Amino acid sequence: MTLEIHLDAKYISRGELALGGLRSLAPSLRYASLLTEDGFSVVNVDGDEFDSNRFASMASSTQALADAVARELQLGDNEFVIVAAEHGHVVQVRVEGHPLVLAALFTDKDTIGRSLTAARRTARRLTTLLVAP
Amino acid sequence: MSEHVMLFVGPMGAGKTTAIRALSEIDVVSTEAANSDQAASAKATTTVALDYGEISVNEAEKIRLYGVPGQKRFDFMWSILAERAEGVILLVNADAENPVETAIDYVKEFFSIYERGGIVIGLTRADLVPQALIEEYANALADEMPDVLIPVFTVDARSTSDMTVLLMTLVANVELKQAVAPAIARRGK
Repeated sequence: MTLEIHLDAKYISRGELALGGLRSLAPSLRYASLLTEDGFSVVNVDGDEFDSNRFASMASSTQALADAVARELQLGDNEFVIVAAEHGHVVQVRVEGHPLVLAALFTDKDTIGRSLTAARRTARRLTTLLVAP
Repeated sequence: MSEHVMLFVGPMGAGKTTAIRALSEIDVVSTEAANSDQAASAKATTTVALDYGEISVNEAEKIRLYGVPGQKRFDFMWSILAERAEGVILLVNADAENPVETAIDYVKEFFSIYERGGIVIGLTRADLVPQALIEEYANALADEMPDVLIPVFTVDARSTSDMTVLLMTLVANVELKQAVAPAIARRGK
């Protein structure tokens, strides 16, 4: 029987490592979650005021809708999702090679470009971390 | 052109995506993700936002078909999509655990749509259980909600003809309710 990803110690420990690194890369990080693409929270950092399960479900739906738009318009693979609001922004990127999404909320103290760079770098680092047995 | 918006709801694995694909005249917009919850359902993928399809009733009427994710953790999508819906097709897999209770729970969840439009129930995978009596569901609904009239059918979600019967029954119910609503409102004054 295969262990579900969101309960798998390997994904949880390496996810924690990667998200810890994201916090160092982007001081404006307010909350970050690593989630399965079907909406289960694997690990999250900061943001105790948020419901991690609900955030993971919403991030999963948002990712799938953005992917569907890219597919519908024949734009190729969707690379990332950004929700930019008045007091902050959410950046979502897929973790290559795994059915995982990194979703991170940043305050408006940093630019979207810098947040996106930090999130993408973290997703790439997680891919590398997950290669090791 | 007049339009109806109909919602496909029900538990994971009941056949909502399949049913919309069976009915839609356009390529269905799907939002499927790898299903990591194999304990809940053994299927490979699951809908995480919505399914969308369209079907024309005639030259003047079109039905927009929206499917919602089955898992409760996506209930924010239920609320978003329920806002515009006039009717609900509730699909329940008859071979699941406690299907009658599941059907009643979903009717309660989407009851506001019943009040302004209608609900029909389609029992899928009914051939896989020794007995999937429509009467059992109808009686349970009558016990729980005596004044509520909800048609119950056994259907194959893959069958365009089965799903068309279910959809057209719902459309007829919704149009009837909308037609008599002004008279009921006048009588109430």
